[in-house]
Amino acid sequence: MIKVEHLTKSFGTLKVLDDISIDYRPGICNMVIGASGSGKTVFLKTLIGLIAPDAGSVSFNGQDIMSMSFEEKKRMRQHIGVLFQSSALFDFATVLENVMFPMDFFTDWSRAEKKERAEYCLERVNVRDAGSKYPSELSGGMQKRVGIARAIALEPKYLFCDEPNSGLDPYTSILIDQLVSELTKEYGMTTVINTHDMNSILEIGDNIGFLYGGKMLWKGDRHTIFHTDCEELRRFVCANSLARNIMEQR
Amino acid sequence: MIRKFLENTGRYALFLKTVFRKPEKWAIFWKQFVTETDKLILSSILLVAVISVFIGGVLVIQTASNMQNPLLDRMYVGYMVRESLVLEFCSTMVALILAGKMGSNIASELGSMRITEQIDAMEMMGVNSAGYLALPKILAATLFSPFLMLLSFVLGIAGGWIVVNLTSIIPLAKYIAGLKYCFNGFYIFYSCFKMSLFCFLISSISAFNGYNAKGGSLGVGYSGTKSIVTSCILILMFDLIVTQVMLY
Repeated sequence: MIKVEHLTKSFGTLKVLDDISIDYRPGICNMVIGASGSGKTVFLKTLIGLIAPDAGSVSFNGQDIMSMSFEEKKRMRQHIGVLFQSSALFDFATVLENVMFPMDFFTDWSRAEKKERAEYCLERVNVRDAGSKYPSELSGGMQKRVGIARAIALEPKYLFCDEPNSGLDPYTSILIDQLVSELTKEYGMTTVINTHDMNSILEIGDNIGFLYGGKMLWKGDRHTIFHTDCEELRRFVCANSLARNIMEQR
Repeated sequence: MIRKFLENTGRYALFLKTVFRKPEKWAIFWKQFVTETDKLILSSILLVAVISVFIGGVLVIQTASNMQNPLLDRMYVGYMVRESLVLEFCSTMVALILAGKMGSNIASELGSMRITEQIDAMEMMGVNSAGYLALPKILAATLFSPFLMLLSFVLGIAGGWIVVNLTSIIPLAKYIAGLKYCFNGFYIFYSCFKMSLFCFLISSISAFNGYNAKGGSLGVGYSGTKSIVTSCILILMFDLIVTQVMLY
């Protein structure tokens, strides 16, 4: 469970996050949606402690991440998996080594055990054959899958995905969404996904928060999104023709 | 400007504090340390060797052509070449050259990792990214650079010997006698110390700039340039300070 309370962040005079409060429950796909530049990435990075907020708090199972010491934060982060927009795979390592990287640091497993776990994770995301390749040799979709495999390597309690299907074709995007959703249920993780992709929202959006101008203007799920009175959200949803048709029919 | 300088100095100090934290796992650190020693030191051997041989040769010709006075023994050519090499060329000049090679290598590597969120990914795993990425580089450069200085010294002398042999600009016996004349072993230590200090500055400043790179590929380029310029200025500044403190 993640609890966000009155989160505020400004860069100079620009207020990027304005008094945001929301709860994220485990086992479901929690989504942060909004147009490009609405503050989604800053929100996600603030949640995981990469950006310090000006005010407010973020607590993981009751522990406030802002008041943690360096060592406490380090321990906490071992339970967090992150899939970055750019996948952020390490160029200097092969796919297998990328997945083994967190195990090298935080387990005392033998090399054979680590390899076995890494291969299981790669198999789980359907890229087992790519183990010996370098990230630059993979397609965007495969890189995302490897990113997910690395994120779940230590069976994290929390999973954060920043636009997991940006730059992917619609079919691969849905596969990635389904994979994230399956893993969330399988591991009982608290998953937070940043996206502006309506297909993803309609596919796996169990708990959705709509960010606009730094404010969380609307909260709901993929079923209630079509009944919203929020004008900004309606505009956002109707930018997708499929969603517009559904909305018009209702 | 002064405020910015103080701010950057403070951030650099904090960065070093994070870098010199105890590594999470020594086995991983040693693996990285060996890799970085190969990448930063061993791969620089050829560059240092080529430059040293040529500079040694050039120094012999220039010194000999400036010492035409018949009252001056030709032996002093060898002596002057040795002193020039050990006191300034093998540490300061080689460090300035390494600032370009090593500095751009470190800054661009860390800068690219920063802008592609690889450093963020490491941080999110709970890894001390500054320590994992920068500590092996800084230690490898600081501990093994004196060997580059010694290599440069030997090859500089050899370069001079080749020129003396090929041109007979001075008798070989005189060159060798000059090399042996009034040898002060402390100068070797002084030069090794300077080289170590300079390589610490190059590696730490480049790592700091690369680690904090911003703004895409342009930012990576800017961090590389900034690293080289800052390193060169600091090398010359510390050259003056160390020389005053250790030799006078």
